[in-house]
Amino acid sequence: MRKTALLLIVFFIFSFLFLSTASAQVQVRLRAIHASDAASGVDPSLRDLHKELGSLFSFTSYRLMRDEILNLSLNQPAKISSREGRIILETTLVGLHKGVAEVRIKVTREGSEILNTQVRLFPGRTVLVGGPKHTRGGVVIYALHANF
Amino acid sequence: MKDSCSSISKLLEKYFDQEGTDKERLLVEGHLQDCPDCRDALTSMEELRTLIKIPIEKAAQKEDFPWVWQKIEREIRSQEKRVWWQSLRSWLDVSPLFKKKVWIPAVATAVVLLFVTAQIIFKKTPSYSGASVVEYVESETNNVMVYDLEKSMVTVIWLFEEPEKGPST
Repeated sequence: MRKTALLLIVFFIFSFLFLSTASAQVQVRLRAIHASDAASGVDPSLRDLHKELGSLFSFTSYRLMRDEILNLSLNQPAKISSREGRIILETTLVGLHKGVAEVRIKVTREGSEILNTQVRLFPGRTVLVGGPKHTRGGVVIYALHANF
Repeated sequence: MKDSCSSISKLLEKYFDQEGTDKERLLVEGHLQDCPDCRDALTSMEELRTLIKIPIEKAAQKEDFPWVWQKIEREIRSQEKRVWWQSLRSWLDVSPLFKKKVWIPAVATAVVLLFVTAQIIFKKTPSYSGASVVEYVESETNNVMVYDLEKSMVTVIWLFEEPEKGPST
């Protein structure tokens, strides 16, 4: 009886480990940046993006509003809203392959969808989703980076 | 010896070996009271048995059969001590697993696992080398631009809510 119980426990542990590794999940770092011409300077926490932001956009100020680590599971949407709740970014992991995470991104403003896209996040690649207007002037830029 | 002695002689041997029935025993004992020849025959049988029995018993007393005892002891020890592979086989005895209440859920779990595994193993894995980062992009209300910076591995998806505030590139 004891042997049977032991064998069953071992069997279920292996099953659990197998299922836990089989379930798809990826960690995505999401940063919400307020880009404007109202001030000047780049937030120190955006140092790694400073060069890219400067070469791509003409804004004089880049301020970090939110820095979140999202653990995305397959088909489980994760929402990030701006402080005033007008802009909502929804990310959903729709596919995970070796070194590639397929993420669907939806941006809504006051309940209306303004952008719908699907991107492949590779190791080391950053996807910037920008353009939605900020209430205090300037725009919001979302920086997404997957950690594999 | 009387005529009836011939019929009793067969019973006499059974009587001597204590194998006859009560009826036969009574018949032989009744006959022996009246027949001295048969009594002599029975006495002869007893003497013969004594002659054989005494030397055999004496020989058996002298002999302690040590080899027989050694063999028995060896058998007992071999029963007690199991070799390692016998112990291992006994430990790995999976016969309890063949009980219905165990193997039915086990088989069901195995089938589910097999199904999940097959889904993962046989799922076609597309090659993403050189694949574009943006699979699709759409906006019903605004213009959208996609821009790739291959050197720094940055992809920009820009929504033109304010055309005058777009990217500098």
